Amino acid sequence: MAGILDFAPAIVLLPFVSFLVALAVGDRLPKGGAYAGIAATAGSLVLSIATVLTVAGGQTYDATIYTWAEGLEAVDLTFGVLIDPLSAMMLLIVTLVAFLVHVFSLGYMNDEGETGLPRYYAGLGLFTASMLGFVVADNLLMAFMFFELVGLCSYLLIGFHFREPGPPSAAKKAFLVTRFGDYFFLVGVVAVFATFGTASFVGSESFPALAEAALRGEASVTTFGFAPQTWFTIVGLLVLGGVIGKSAQFPLHTWLPDAMEGPTPVSALIHAATMVAAGVYLVARMYGFYAVSPTALAIIAFVGGFTALFAATMGLVKREIKQVLAYSTISQYGYMMLALGGGGYVAATFHLMTHAFFKALLFLGAGSVIIAMHHNENMWDMGGLKDKMPVTYYTFLSGSLALAGIFPFAGFWSKDEVLYETLLHGLDGNPILLGAYAMGLLAVFFTGFYTFRMVFLTFHGKPRTQTAEDPHGVRWNVKFPLAVLGVLAAVAGLVNMVPVAELTGLHIEFLHTWLEHGYAGLTTEHYSTLLQDFAGYGAAGLHLSPLLPGAVSLGLALAGSGLAYLLYNVPEPVRHTDRLGGIKKVLYNNYYQDEYQVWLANGVTRPVARAANKFDGGVVDGVVNGVSGVSLFAGGRVRRIQTGVVSNYAVLLTLGLTALLLAFGILGGWFV
Amino acid sequence: MFDAIALQTEPVAAWTALAPALLLGLTGLVLLGIDTVSPKETSNTLLAGVSAAGSLLAFGVAAWFLVAGTGQVRTGGAISLYGDTLVVDGMSLFFTLIFTIVTAMVAVASYDYLREQSHRAEFYSLVLFAATGMTMMSMANSLATVFISLELASLPSYALVAFLKKNRGSVEAGLKYFLIGSVSSGVMVFGISLVYAVTGSLVLGDVAAAIGDTEMAGVLGMGVLMIVGGVAYKTASVPFHFWAPEAYEGAPAPISAFLSSASKAAGFAVAFRVFVEAFPLGAIPAGVDWVLAFQVLAVVTMTLGNFAAATQENVKRMLAYSSIGHAGYALIGLAALTAGGPNASVLGASMAHLLVYGFMNTGAFLFIALVEHWGVGRTFEDYNGLASTAPIAAVAMTVFMFSLAGLPPFGGFLSKYALFFSAIEAGFWWLAAVGAINSALSLFYYSRVVKAMWIESPAEDFEITSRPVGLYAAVLFAGLATLLLLPAFGPVIETAQAVAAALF
Repeated sequence: MAGILDFAPAIVLLPFVSFLVALAVGDRLPKGGAYAGIAATAGSLVLSIATVLTVAGGQTYDATIYTWAEGLEAVDLTFGVLIDPLSAMMLLIVTLVAFLVHVFSLGYMNDEGETGLPRYYAGLGLFTASMLGFVVADNLLMAFMFFELVGLCSYLLIGFHFREPGPPSAAKKAFLVTRFGDYFFLVGVVAVFATFGTASFVGSESFPALAEAALRGEASVTTFGFAPQTWFTIVGLLVLGGVIGKSAQFPLHTWLPDAMEGPTPVSALIHAATMVAAGVYLVARMYGFYAVSPTALAIIAFVGGFTALFAATMGLVKREIKQVLAYSTISQYGYMMLALGGGGYVAATFHLMTHAFFKALLFLGAGSVIIAMHHNENMWDMGGLKDKMPVTYYTFLSGSLALAGIFPFAGFWSKDEVLYETLLHGLDGNPILLGAYAMGLLAVFFTGFYTFRMVFLTFHGKPRTQTAEDPHGVRWNVKFPLAVLGVLAAVAGLVNMVPVAELTGLHIEFLHTWLEHGYAGLTTEHYSTLLQDFAGYGAAGLHLSPLLPGAVSLGLALAGSGLAYLLYNVPEPVRHTDRLGGIKKVLYNNYYQDEYQVWLANGVTRPVARAANKFDGGVVDGVVNGVSGVSLFAGGRVRRIQTGVVSNYAVLLTLGLTALLLAFGILGGWFV
Repeated sequence: MFDAIALQTEPVAAWTALAPALLLGLTGLVLLGIDTVSPKETSNTLLAGVSAAGSLLAFGVAAWFLVAGTGQVRTGGAISLYGDTLVVDGMSLFFTLIFTIVTAMVAVASYDYLREQSHRAEFYSLVLFAATGMTMMSMANSLATVFISLELASLPSYALVAFLKKNRGSVEAGLKYFLIGSVSSGVMVFGISLVYAVTGSLVLGDVAAAIGDTEMAGVLGMGVLMIVGGVAYKTASVPFHFWAPEAYEGAPAPISAFLSSASKAAGFAVAFRVFVEAFPLGAIPAGVDWVLAFQVLAVVTMTLGNFAAATQENVKRMLAYSSIGHAGYALIGLAALTAGGPNASVLGASMAHLLVYGFMNTGAFLFIALVEHWGVGRTFEDYNGLASTAPIAAVAMTVFMFSLAGLPPFGGFLSKYALFFSAIEAGFWWLAAVGAINSALSLFYYSRVVKAMWIESPAEDFEITSRPVGLYAAVLFAGLATLLLLPAFGPVIETAQAVAAALF
């Protein structure tokens, strides 16, 4: 029976077609191919909604579309589509955000008279298609390939304004830094193949299932001399390398703030639904594999918690609106990693969803502000925009409340659950998780502060420049996406109100229910079993009310926002950064992260590369040149042997045979 | 349906298993008959058509047998005929596929090449008789039939190389080929007589049974080594390769294609069967180390072939040396055998390489035939800018060159890969390493052709007016097959390794 799920590949293909259309005939279409992109993403969105509804009806889908390498004794390499609750939800998020970004681009790119629009829309189409392909991938290798495509597209789009000095350099940085992580990912993919002989995500023969079976002693896999669990941890961490690069986790987060050089709608897409989300989604996708390795989980949690705090502090002092948002993204993805490492699979997915909405909203809102400010991004030049652009203001406020985690906006529910799950599992006797929790909790305060510092500086007070007094207006194509996302940022959290459920006893944790069905190996129940059996999460059977931790984090968020209110919600705000003393400089310079990485590149990598180059130029090239020189010389000799005189040939032939006979005769002792 | 026929072993007479060889021989006779009926105005189309049809029919029958399982393990094993002197099994059928398809391509291509020539019927019938001989070579199960079928394949070849009677190069090449061939045949028949002296039998199985407890290891060793020499001649391996560059260069280009693809494969067919069946590694007395001899030959042959090819100025001669180099690769099939090793996969990989090689090398030589037909010169420089005038043929030639060099996405990539991989599997990583280095070197001279055709600009405009249908059809068919053998390589290698497994 051909159900709606059989059309799942079309979700991926539609934006790809729009990419082709924009590339081929974009310059002859109205709006540079924008309508093709809007139509394609709208089509994908409709199909995704249908998919979600079908999955809600209990159906799932897993089919191999194309086997592109088979008969290699060990493994078949395939492309396949896997639709389960997780991927269906992600499809919806990605197509929705992509659709709204396309609409917004009409206002941000077309109305602003940008050139090169076909290239822009082609990039957006391919970006969306790659991400969707990544989301529905049913094996790790396919995921890797689309992961790389996503990286390529972000390179193309960040460097869209390639004639200016900043964007190409930022694009290269984004590409190279994420590539550094992807190296580990690639090695991890090979390791998964070598270990399990499959990279499939789903089924009893999938690699997470085989890993579990191996640890339970029911199956044996190649572990290259390590204890199985140690080896799985190593493999998991290798794959995590790619995740850390893409999801901009410490220490590979440095590309992301620079990536703000790209057009703002692209930033929205990168941060909310595609590039950065890909990393976290990958961990969620193969969560069954990480769940059997407590070490990997602890590392994920700790990296996540640390990144959340670390990035939040850097966001405190930024002058440009998009920079603040960039650091907030890093910080929020830190929370998701924290949740994944802390055993909060649902919490992480939940935060991934709410964050997608409110961060897309904030970026598009920032884009609207940037249009209004004639592409000036410095918040100290803004102020008082609240009355001039009410739609932008109220939607931006909705997103900010969500980001800061203020009740009852979306971010409150998801962040609260992240922290709650981590705390719960940390109290099981897991001090690393508790440490990560503490960092995450502290970051809540900073988040509240930098978020509202941004809001107050941008929208409140008096206009501080001429432009801010008379901003450029925006049209429906900007306001419509903002309105949609503004509503979602406010209400998306309602799908999973755990504390309310606790309080009232109602079963309104819809996301929990949602993720409980689907393939047996990919459900939350299965993950809880794994976490309990292998990582000891929940083993003590603690019960903790979500109310108190929720109240604590809400209190901290309010405190941070309140401090921002005190300091910056005044008609003429002044810089308070000087009070930070020496820390200010450190924060402005992002803890010298870029500096030390540049030092690593210049001081360590370059000498090594130079030495390698010398070796290559001197020794390897020498040998190669030698071989070719020798071969040409020897070839010349052979030509001379080939005299054309047939009796010479007969002589040489006979001599050759005689030499062979003598050699083998002596060797074989025939003449004895 | 196929299985049903194959399983009826009794009602069908055993000699019907020879059908491919019989069909080829009959086609040759029919061609002579046509010529006798109307010696003056024989239609070139008719002759080429009959030859192609006959060889394609033989191809079809061989393929049918192979699919149906005739002579293979699942239908009761090899079919022995005439007191075990001939045997039809999977390997002979597999090689028959190579011979017949190459013959068909050569016949189609010759249609245009021979348009201006007389004695066309003789040409086609000689090709088919040679193909018959090659098919017999792949079935020969006694040293006597080995020798006779080898001569049956060789004698028409001498005449074919010298076919352009008014062309000095062709005649000279034919004579040289004949002289070297005679010496080599002499060496081989001497070797056979020595083996007979030791074992008292010519049938391969009996030889194998008798060598175990012989006291005359020295005599046997000399005999074996001389048979190696005979094989080396047929496969154009060092030091019996001297005839090859001259003969390939002087011969009509379709015949160069025929000799360097089909005839070479026939040499390997004989070598595989004789050495595996008559001198099995488990039974051979110490001191008669033919594997070592093949290792030496493989390394020397591939190295010398590639080195010499790198310095040629004449494209046809470069291909001649490259064909020697490829003989070296294929020799890995014998050089990487070990007692108890993964022999079937080594031998099968070599057979699969020969099949792929049959297409890409034939195609390359037929492209030369096309260029000769146009009257464009012979050197690399003469090919400059050819792609602008004949883009389709140039694309096909590019496919052949890259496939010969072993680049993806062409059939030659996987066949070489399988060959080297199986060598490593058998523990002969150094053979694979030498092969890989040689392949890298070969890219140099193969890409010279591609560069000349596509990148260089022509010195003067080509005067290419004709688009010969037959040559184009054959070249494009070979090109398509080279491409398709990449996705279709799975079944090819599986078949090859399965039929090779039956030998051990």
